[in-house]
Amino acid sequence: MISEIILQGKRVRLRPVEELDLPLFVLWFNDPEVRYWLSMSDGPEFTLESEQEWYDEMRADPWCLVWCIETEDGQPIGNLGLHGIEETHGRATLGIAIGKKDFWGRGYGTEAIRQVLRYAFGEMGLRRVALGADEDNTRGIRCYEKCGFVREGLLRAYRLRRGEPVNGVVMAALREDWERGARGGRDGR
Amino acid sequence: MAAEAVLEATTVRLRPLAEHDLPLLVRWSNDPDVRHWLHRSESPPATLELAWALVEEMRRDPRTLAWCIDAGGRTIGDVRLLKIDTAHRRAELGIAIGEKDCWGRGFGTDAIRRVLRHAFGELGLRRVWLITDADNARGIRCYEKCGFVPEALLRGHRLRYGRPLDMLAMGVLREEFADG
Repeated sequence: MISEIILQGKRVRLRPVEELDLPLFVLWFNDPEVRYWLSMSDGPEFTLESEQEWYDEMRADPWCLVWCIETEDGQPIGNLGLHGIEETHGRATLGIAIGKKDFWGRGYGTEAIRQVLRYAFGEMGLRRVALGADEDNTRGIRCYEKCGFVREGLLRAYRLRRGEPVNGVVMAALREDWERGARGGRDGR
Repeated sequence: MAAEAVLEATTVRLRPLAEHDLPLLVRWSNDPDVRHWLHRSESPPATLELAWALVEEMRRDPRTLAWCIDAGGRTIGDVRLLKIDTAHRRAELGIAIGEKDCWGRGFGTDAIRRVLRHAFGELGLRRVWLITDADNARGIRCYEKCGFVPEALLRGHRLRYGRPLDMLAMGVLREEFADG
């Protein structure tokens, strides 16, 4: 579903994805440098039609929640989603893309993820949030570690990127660890 | 999509799941000893209606292939390829031997090897993976015999009787798979 919930951080705001965002997504995700890290890197070019299809799918899928990431002045810079939400087992998978490259490495993703973890472990009552990242995505992995994700293993050749197999790091954040961190009063919590 | 191909193995035969298998699927998943190892351990008991809905869903999903495992003239379990991803050429494997007297007799190993041969051959996949309860020693031994390698320990990935349980992710790559 498209989340109706607004999550307000210090420098970022997560708000519902709107149809008006779709042209921006097309632009971002066709940028070779952005696309490189996406699981759809080897797929066809993104188009308004393909993004509309994605949007309709997300809206209809009760096991996912997606947000658009905005800066404090209302500029959209990326999107973020919880997928495969399993209420019975209390878990979900996180996916994030900062589409505006000039916002890479500036802590926006970190803050956005922390907002979503607080929501996932709090209101949603999840116990575990996992993600997969390309093994060589060091910037991403560093960001996930800052948010409390711990490396759990390596899936060999888990996807193809430009036709070549890439290993995938599995990482997860657990509610119990997160609560300990939150009590410690780290930044952005 | 129910699997169209019948796959002959050494001790088992894999054939498409049919409507008349439903009562069997229900009996298996409600057997506490079988259920213990299933994700469904937290869900309400299976019914014919629920099983039918599940099978229908699989039939509609082009990314799923499901077979019943026949051995010695009866049906003993089922095996599936899930989330078949043709772009990344990978899939997830799921198997359950529902007849407990058939546990530990190599039927699962035989069935999995045959499915892997199909996956890496006809389907052209590069990677097949699975997740299993970290304390499922018999299962893990069987998967290792089939070529699966432990890759990640997923902490508290599921609940069993309300308690978090670690699960092990295992994968096998086409180039590693030596059939037989």
